[in-house]
Amino acid sequence: MMEVVAPLVARREVARDMWVLGFEAPGIAGEVRAGQFVNVLLRPGPLLRRPFSVYAAGAEVVEIVLRAVGEGTRLLCGLRPGDRVSLLGPLGSGFQLDGAGQGVTLLSGGLGVAPMPLAARDARRLGLRVTWVHGARTQAELCSEAEADELRWATEDGSLGVPGTALDAMPDGQPGQVLACGPNRMLAAVAARWPEAQVAIETYMGCGTGVCLGCAVPRTTGVFDRACTEGPVYRADSIRWDDLPSHLHYTV
Amino acid sequence: MAASGTFGYGTEVPLCDRSLLGGMVSKGIFLTPRAGTPPPRIVETPSGMLNAIGLQGPGVEVVIRDYAPLWASWDFPVLVNVNGETVDEYGELAARLDGVPGVAGVEVNISCPNVREGGMLFGIDPAAAAAVTAAVRTRTRLPVWVKLTPAVTDITEIARACEQAGADALSAVNTFVGMSFDLRSGQPRLSFRTGGLSGPAIRPLAVHLAHRVARAVSVPVVGIGGIATAEDAAEFLLAGCRAVQVGTATFVDPNAIGRVVEGLRRYERLLAPPD
Repeated sequence: MMEVVAPLVARREVARDMWVLGFEAPGIAGEVRAGQFVNVLLRPGPLLRRPFSVYAAGAEVVEIVLRAVGEGTRLLCGLRPGDRVSLLGPLGSGFQLDGAGQGVTLLSGGLGVAPMPLAARDARRLGLRVTWVHGARTQAELCSEAEADELRWATEDGSLGVPGTALDAMPDGQPGQVLACGPNRMLAAVAARWPEAQVAIETYMGCGTGVCLGCAVPRTTGVFDRACTEGPVYRADSIRWDDLPSHLHYTV
Repeated sequence: MAASGTFGYGTEVPLCDRSLLGGMVSKGIFLTPRAGTPPPRIVETPSGMLNAIGLQGPGVEVVIRDYAPLWASWDFPVLVNVNGETVDEYGELAARLDGVPGVAGVEVNISCPNVREGGMLFGIDPAAAAAVTAAVRTRTRLPVWVKLTPAVTDITEIARACEQAGADALSAVNTFVGMSFDLRSGQPRLSFRTGGLSGPAIRPLAVHLAHRVARAVSVPVVGIGGIATAEDAAEFLLAGCRAVQVGTATFVDPNAIGRVVEGLRRYERLLAPPD
């Protein structure tokens, strides 16, 4: 883990109102694994950092994907090339891939695409076949950069692919290693069908480094642990989904 | 120093220049393990954050077994923030910590707004505050600090009661009780409904209360509340505090304390005691 003052070097819209921002941060880019995140500080800006899954990473550049949902993300979306942020990372546990296992199925809903390009990269490096099932409310909100050996789409309004959620577009049969990210309500449904799936969850977060205990995740063992440290990737059936807030609202 | 609840047990904050640390206060502990409150536990507000963690922690025995031996090898003192649901529990905690290598003192938390029993309830009544302080004082030889709540009509009354009951120092102040509603659900944004407000939003309020306490007692006062820079710390020192604690700023910048300490060198003349 390191703190890097990083300039914005890339910015593109990958779906309606959904932006990928690339920051030059070679140290983090070289170290990050799929499912890990960076905690981003903007000055001037809100008091606390904002956590984002790493979307993609090259030799020098770390990318995140976001939509303006509150003051922090609105300011981030307005950054121009050369503007600097502080990145703290890579943070969190990340996905575990079994190179000797079956292929992987990436299951993403909406902004749940966030960790998937990196997951696809890591899976392919291990020689695993990648199926990516991606859902959104409507065609314009589907991420245009999804890439896999097999790609399946779902839209809630039926404008592209299977009508319904990403779960409705899952292929028949054994999905292999399932990695999922999306609204917590969707992940709860994933847990019901594939208890062994790995899910990357979203919570409110303070420090991102394990000290504030603000990102509590209710586990089936009865404890609350920290999304930033033990998570944000968990075995799907290890979470008490009814006790995890399903919608996060942002006002600052 | 690092404020309680913002530096864990001293092992969880990366990238902090620990050679600059004057000391730390541990996360608040109870006699027994506590699960803490369900999520959401934190919410950001303008220039601040509300938290209701609920003093999640492993209990005193685990702290003594797993952390105190580490503290004993560190170059800075570690105080343990102690909490109870009854006066006796505070006393018992003080007794357990007495003589434990690595424990440099106790900070008696009679100001946590996020527990149903004890906590702040002891800090809003002078007799109760004195009873807790005395219970701790009589059960340990360690330095006893008492952390005060701002949620009182006259903080000097509580401060004097704690001083008379044997406090060696007073920490002023803990978080302010706050609340925030989600306009979509119509429900409070924290599961505990209320939380403790910290961060720059509370700083002028905290400086004022620390100043009042410093004028009311003769024991040292440790200033706390929204300190993020050396300038913020200098304000508390000018208000009469003898030391300061940095809290929420560490969540944003893990080395906030290091920067505060380095920056304070610029104010040596301003802050020098009169000859």
